[in-house]
Amino acid sequence: MKILFFTGKGGVGKSTLAAAAAWQLSQRHRVLIVSLDPAHNLGDIFGVEIRGRRRRFTAGLYLDEVDLKKMARAYLERETQVLSDTYKYLSTLNLDRYFSVLKYSPGIEEYALLTSIEQTIRKEEGFDYLIFDTPPTGLTLRFLALPQVTVTWIDRLAAIRRQILEKRYTIQKIRRPLREGETRQEIRLKFSEDEDEIMMRLKSLHDNYRRLTGILQGGDCGVVLVFNPDLLSRRESERLIEGLDDLRLPLRLLIQNKVTAENEQIAAAVANSLRRTAGNHMPLRYVALNDALWAGAGKLYDIPEDLEADLEF
Amino acid sequence: MKKSSFLNQCREVLAGVGTAQREAAVSLTCLEVQELENIFALLLLGAFVGLPAPPTFLSVELLPFMDREIRILHQRAEDAHDMLAEMMGALGADG
Repeated sequence: MKILFFTGKGGVGKSTLAAAAAWQLSQRHRVLIVSLDPAHNLGDIFGVEIRGRRRRFTAGLYLDEVDLKKMARAYLERETQVLSDTYKYLSTLNLDRYFSVLKYSPGIEEYALLTSIEQTIRKEEGFDYLIFDTPPTGLTLRFLALPQVTVTWIDRLAAIRRQILEKRYTIQKIRRPLREGETRQEIRLKFSEDEDEIMMRLKSLHDNYRRLTGILQGGDCGVVLVFNPDLLSRRESERLIEGLDDLRLPLRLLIQNKVTAENEQIAAAVANSLRRTAGNHMPLRYVALNDALWAGAGKLYDIPEDLEADLEF
Repeated sequence: MKKSSFLNQCREVLAGVGTAQREAAVSLTCLEVQELENIFALLLLGAFVGLPAPPTFLSVELLPFMDREIRILHQRAEDAHDMLAEMMGALGADG
C-alpha cells in the first residue's frame, strides 16, 4: 500500500490536486482519500456530502473526512475515564476542569491527527493508495515530526525509569525476600521491567512510534508538495522541503498550480528555485486549474494534466 | 521460663538486628530512588511549572500510572522549604 501526503501553503490547491490525483489513480487502483484539513472541502470538490462518514464515490475511490475536534475530544474522554478509575481518592483535584483546559493545550490536535493517520494506515490494508490531504504547512510539519520527537522523549524517560527499577531491585535484594505468609509494613515496589506499568506503557508507545516513523520514512510513503508561482508560496515551500529533509521524509513530486501564459516566467523562476532546494532529479508538474471550473462547467477533480505517472513509485 | 521460648526470643532479637542492618544499608538507595522518581515526575509533568515538557499526550498517557510519583512530587514540594533538615536526615546526622 502506497501512502501520499499532499502538503503546501493554504489556498494553493492541495485539496483539489489531491482529489485529482485520487481520481486518476482510482481508474486502475483502489484509492482512499482522507481529508485532515479542518476546513474540509473534499465533499465540495466531489460534489457529495461526506459529514464524517466514509463514502464510496466509485468502485475504486472512497472519500473520508476526519473531524479533529471530535477525535481530540474522544481521546481526552477515554483518558479521563482511565484517570478517574485510578485516582478515585483524588476527587479534590477536579479532573474534569483540568481536562477541559487540556483540550486547548498544544499538541493535542497534532496527536489526534497522528492517531487518525496511524489508525487509517493500520486498518485500511485493502487499498492500493492512501492519499492524505493535510492541513496547512505548520501543523503538517509538526505532526509529521511528532513520532520522532516522541521517540526521543520516550527514550529519555525510559532511561530514567530503568535506573529507578534497577535501584528498586537492589533494595529488594538487600532486604530479604518475604517468607510465605509474612506481611510487611513497607510497600513492595515492582522492579522488573515486565511488571512496572509505566515501563510497559513506555515500551509499547516506543514500539508504536518507531513503527510509524518507519512507515513514514519508508519506500511506500511519499510527500507531494503543491505550490503557486508567487513569492510567499515559494518561501513556505522551501521551508517545507527543508523541514521534510530534516525529518528524512521522502518528497516525491512537486506540483506548481495556477500556471498560466501570463505568469509563465515567474513560474519558471519559482520552479527552478524549489528544484535547487529539493534536488534536480525531483519530478515537477505544471497545472493550471482552469477558469471554466469556477463556473461549475466541469468536474473539479477531473483535470487534463496527468499526475498518475509520477505517483506510481 | 522455658528454654524454647528463650531461644525464640533470641532468634527474634537477632532477626530484628538483621532487618535493622539491612534497612540502614538501603536507606540511602531508597532516598536515591525517591529522588529519581521525583525527577521522572517533574520531567513528565514539568509543563505545569514551566519546564521543557514532552508532548502533552505522552504525559496524559502515563498519568494514570503516576500515582506514587505524584505523591513523592508533592511531598518534595512540601519539604522544599527545609532542605537542610532533609539533607541532615538523609546523612543520618539528626541524632
